[in-house]
Amino acid sequence: MGKETMSIFAGGYAGKILYVNLTDGSIEKRPLERDFALKYIGGRGFSSRILWDELETKTDPLSPDNRLIIAAGPLNGTPTPSASRLVVAAKSPLTGILGDTNSGGYFSPELKYSGFDAIVLRGRSSSPVYLWVRDGKAELRSAKHLWGHKISETNHLLKEELGDEDIHICAMGPAGENLVRYACVITDGEGAGGRCGMGAVMGSKNLKAVVVRGSQDVGIADPKRFKEAVDAYRQTLEGEVWTDVLRRLGTANLVAHRQKLGIWGAKNFQRATIEGWEKISGEAFRERFLVKVMGCMGCMVRCRRYSAIKEGPFAPTYTKGPEYESINSLGAKPYITDPAIILRAHYLCDEYGIDEQTAGSSIAMAMELYERGILTKEQVDGVELVFGNGEALLHFIEKIAYRRGFGDLLADGTKIMGERLKADYYAIHVKGLEVDASDPRSLPTRALTYAVSTRGSCHLRGFPYIDEFIKPEEAKAYFGTEAVSNLESLEGKGKMVAWSENWVTIPNLMGVCIFAWNRSRSFPMLIRRGLELMNEIFVATTGLPMTKEELYHCGERVYNVEKLFNVREGFRRESDYPPLRFFEEELPDGPGKGSKLKREEYDQLLDEYYEARGWDKKTGIPTPATLKALGVP
Amino acid sequence: MCELICAFHHHQVGNPGRACIRVIALGQGEDIPVTCLNCEKPPCLDICPTGALHRDESVGMVLVKKDFCIGCAMCVNVCPVGAVTLDLVEGVAAKCDLCEGDPQCVAYCPAKVLKLTDAGQFAKYRMKEFAKFLKCQVGEN
Repeated sequence: MGKETMSIFAGGYAGKILYVNLTDGSIEKRPLERDFALKYIGGRGFSSRILWDELETKTDPLSPDNRLIIAAGPLNGTPTPSASRLVVAAKSPLTGILGDTNSGGYFSPELKYSGFDAIVLRGRSSSPVYLWVRDGKAELRSAKHLWGHKISETNHLLKEELGDEDIHICAMGPAGENLVRYACVITDGEGAGGRCGMGAVMGSKNLKAVVVRGSQDVGIADPKRFKEAVDAYRQTLEGEVWTDVLRRLGTANLVAHRQKLGIWGAKNFQRATIEGWEKISGEAFRERFLVKVMGCMGCMVRCRRYSAIKEGPFAPTYTKGPEYESINSLGAKPYITDPAIILRAHYLCDEYGIDEQTAGSSIAMAMELYERGILTKEQVDGVELVFGNGEALLHFIEKIAYRRGFGDLLADGTKIMGERLKADYYAIHVKGLEVDASDPRSLPTRALTYAVSTRGSCHLRGFPYIDEFIKPEEAKAYFGTEAVSNLESLEGKGKMVAWSENWVTIPNLMGVCIFAWNRSRSFPMLIRRGLELMNEIFVATTGLPMTKEELYHCGERVYNVEKLFNVREGFRRESDYPPLRFFEEELPDGPGKGSKLKREEYDQLLDEYYEARGWDKKTGIPTPATLKALGVP
Repeated sequence: MCELICAFHHHQVGNPGRACIRVIALGQGEDIPVTCLNCEKPPCLDICPTGALHRDESVGMVLVKKDFCIGCAMCVNVCPVGAVTLDLVEGVAAKCDLCEGDPQCVAYCPAKVLKLTDAGQFAKYRMKEFAKFLKCQVGEN
């Protein structure tokens, strides 16, 4: 126990990475190198760099050659507030580029207690297995009896088999087994690592689950300094208005915000507002379905919901959530305003192990194609696949999981659907990952963030909201122009987005949740909590030398490595553009009515972004000088 | 958070397995924190063969003299609530010591559901609640 944790690190890191070859069953422990930790910190830093190093160009994501990486950060397992996040990464079968996903809960700290900072899996097992990791030891065990089971059943069976209620499980469901391209992983039956199809990669490897349990200490190099930094960090959260909002309504608080700004991508981005949105607001879900406010490990924000449908046709349904993204993908996009159907659909996605965002987007796209006559009733299994049809939504979620009937095509996501049906225009994605969060037609900086994200469209890869609250003098000091504080101007916004991407990578490296880490509408607070205090906690925990400037550059380094991965796969400037619909069609309603993206404006934004990043404007490739300055590769 | 901060306070590490307070998940959203009840007649104290578990009269609590503990786990066996454990690393009895009167689990509880309170005061609080209930009943009739 205690002895196993002896490593070259004074704290934070377990000091070991577990390598598993599923083809021949070999398992190897390798030491974590100090230099690697200093440059890539952990989590997404480790996973992105390992993928870059170990994968060959054009590797088939569902082949044994792909890697599945499960990585914790140095702060996981310590009492750092909200240090609960896990990264699961691989080359994505949905997008064909770098894929990673992030899940909260308890798995990531437990991985550290079990003695490892990360697990790298390769190969393909000849029969179903699961990986059991306990206190520095690991073994592959048969998962034949688990195959076919949904997430909750799998968790139950594993706990029974291992005789321990306190194990932590990262599992895939039937969708992963059936290689649905956006099958997700679910930790402990609650925390979805939704995006990019990591569950399908597990399925392709015949790996049903990874189970961890441990009793090892996560060391803290300087406890006194650590406590002071953590207390200061906590104080910044206690005073934050966002903390209260997230506690009360969870991420579903954003429903009202989306309606107010008119930035829903409702009806597959044919509407910007929703009639009857009050029925699916955070308040409505709280009132009707909330059982309890929950939190991930060590979290003081506690945005997690536990909800139940106790009456009606879907009773009883007990599930974690819904999140804002559940409501957006399973409500707004297919235009369903019955909250019970949304909650039920969310529950089914979690049980089958499907990313609800891509599932909702794919079904919404099919609804539009059906309404436009591009898909016939025969093609969609005789279902009246129109917007607002909740039964159709539930019907096809199950069919996607088992790739039955039309579900087989839906299971490939919007990009492939668009190609097969010659209907690219209605596939609203960037690099194969569907646009989530909001419709950016009236907000070009958001469009840029979604379009340049290194895992395909993603609102969490940047923080394009800084211009909503930064003061002119702060804008001048940080981005060289006061214009960044002007919402109407696009000057300096490329630079702002680039900065925010590097900065927002940091919590993904540390294992910290961004909801605790970046929620503030004060720019000095973003710097104080997000860089200064985070760096202070990192240094106190690990004993490693680091300044806040160096930490920021770690974020930039990781972002560049991810970009290199995608460049190696052949992606250039032209793939850093938002979907065509956002340039062609105006927002049809709401406060932003009449807005659409303008090509020239976007070109300029992208130019400025590339310049701020030190990437070649013509191709979007990082220049040798940039890479040299960052010490990459 | 209570488990994490407990282990940090006592051992300066991150490891909830070494905490003296545990949150027990009962399913369907029910999580109940459990820790030492500081019994007036503690079975752990009575059964300890070496005197490692002793009552510190200055604070009125049962505490552990680690040097005396032989790790026999008799205290673990007799504790009616499971609040005494053997520390995972040191192998000796571990139980809540209320952090010298300032329990860190209470200080750091994000939901503010953990409180340190005296049994007498708590009974008074219950009585007050009950009195309010009676008042409502009387009012309705």
